[in-house]
Amino acid sequence: MDTRSPTVYLDNAATTFPKPPEVLREMIDNYARLGVSPGRGSYDLATQCSHFVDGVREQVSSFFGSEDPRRVIFSYNSTDALNTVIMGLIEPGCHVVSTRLEHNSVLRPLHHARDLGLIEFDLVPFDRDGFIDPRNVASAITPRTRFVILNHVSNVLGTIQPIADVGRMCAEREIPLILDASQSAGIVPVDMQAMHVGGLAFTGHKSLLGPTGIGGLVLREGLDVKATRFGGTGYESWSPVQPEEYPYRLEAGTLNVIGVMGLSAGLGYIARRGPANIYDHEMTLARDLRDGLSSIEGVRLYCADKLEHHVAVLTCNVRDIDPEDCAAILDGDFNIATRSGLHCAPLVHEDIGTSPAGGVRFSLGPLNTAEDVATAVSAVRTIAAG
Amino acid sequence: MNPKSWTEEIAEKLAEESGLPELNELQWETVRFLRTYYLANGKAPLNRDIRRETGMNLLEVERLFPGGIRHGARRLAGLPNPKSC
Repeated sequence: MDTRSPTVYLDNAATTFPKPPEVLREMIDNYARLGVSPGRGSYDLATQCSHFVDGVREQVSSFFGSEDPRRVIFSYNSTDALNTVIMGLIEPGCHVVSTRLEHNSVLRPLHHARDLGLIEFDLVPFDRDGFIDPRNVASAITPRTRFVILNHVSNVLGTIQPIADVGRMCAEREIPLILDASQSAGIVPVDMQAMHVGGLAFTGHKSLLGPTGIGGLVLREGLDVKATRFGGTGYESWSPVQPEEYPYRLEAGTLNVIGVMGLSAGLGYIARRGPANIYDHEMTLARDLRDGLSSIEGVRLYCADKLEHHVAVLTCNVRDIDPEDCAAILDGDFNIATRSGLHCAPLVHEDIGTSPAGGVRFSLGPLNTAEDVATAVSAVRTIAAG
Repeated sequence: MNPKSWTEEIAEKLAEESGLPELNELQWETVRFLRTYYLANGKAPLNRDIRRETGMNLLEVERLFPGGIRHGARRLAGLPNPKSC
């Protein structure tokens, strides 16, 4: 049994932990009450479960400023949703614009499609502060560009990208903008209509405070995605082909109902506490952490000089200590959980000069405290003094 | 390196390459612990196991080897590093 003090958990960009107890309670209570297969049976419980799921589609649609809850497609996570939208939008010979800030959840599907000879793509660079320039996105668009796909918030640098500007530019050119909201959903407001976002992929287990295994794709009217997976939907079962109607077109197989319930409970928690309050809480801690870390000789922070347009994610290195070792020391000696390495975003590390070892990432969540930050700063000070 | 083809001579050679003319007793104890644990369990010890079993904190282990834990201790022990991103 581990008798150490409770872990100071600073890996919330990987997944928020712990979850608010009320979110877990509500999720389990609802699953105990209604956890049957939604939309598949005519008994009351199945109908009630189906209504519950539809209600969560409405919650999600409204949360992201979309119009049609039927165009909320549940997935396992962002990666799943991004695969669905990327592989469902590409056409042979088309071109895609993305960025060097992307996570492998975008990079790998794009590379896969290119290796199959289906697409070409261009990746827009980011500046020394960790931001893309919308003008570079505009310059990368060609007559064959099928869509632009962007990381809303870098999972390495924490920088919030100028989505509204990119969205406006894409709308003027009638190119769909797809947003990877993995790191932003729940902490940075997204209004798909106002920002001209055509499709948005999110995961439920990060700032939306739900469990792992649930995420989704939200599609605006006018953006149609081909099905790339096929199976049972509980709808038009007589037909041997996948229904055209959303969400069934992109949602084959029994849903992760407990995940949907957890997502709903997470959204409820965020609504009660207020997204702006959560963001302010995390950024207050992030500023203290940045100030503390930057005061330590031998610590190098990346793209954190200014914390405007930033979430509470900070990546650094300590002297010439391998980031994996640094994270091991933080864990083994100080009981602090951080994330080291390349963070599944290899091009970001290439461009900030930290490849191939990467860095140590500190990411704060709604349940972190000022004491957590003080503990982290003190630990890094001890390591750097080594 | 295949962990099973490791020998103490290989460790000494690797140590020399990394600037250690010879390994002291503490370094040998650490290398032997890492190997014993790996061969018994088929995986690297947890951070807390290293701390408990070597009697040193991780920062001390880091300082003990040029290259630290990952590129020092584990390399000399001929072991793979734990899976990471």
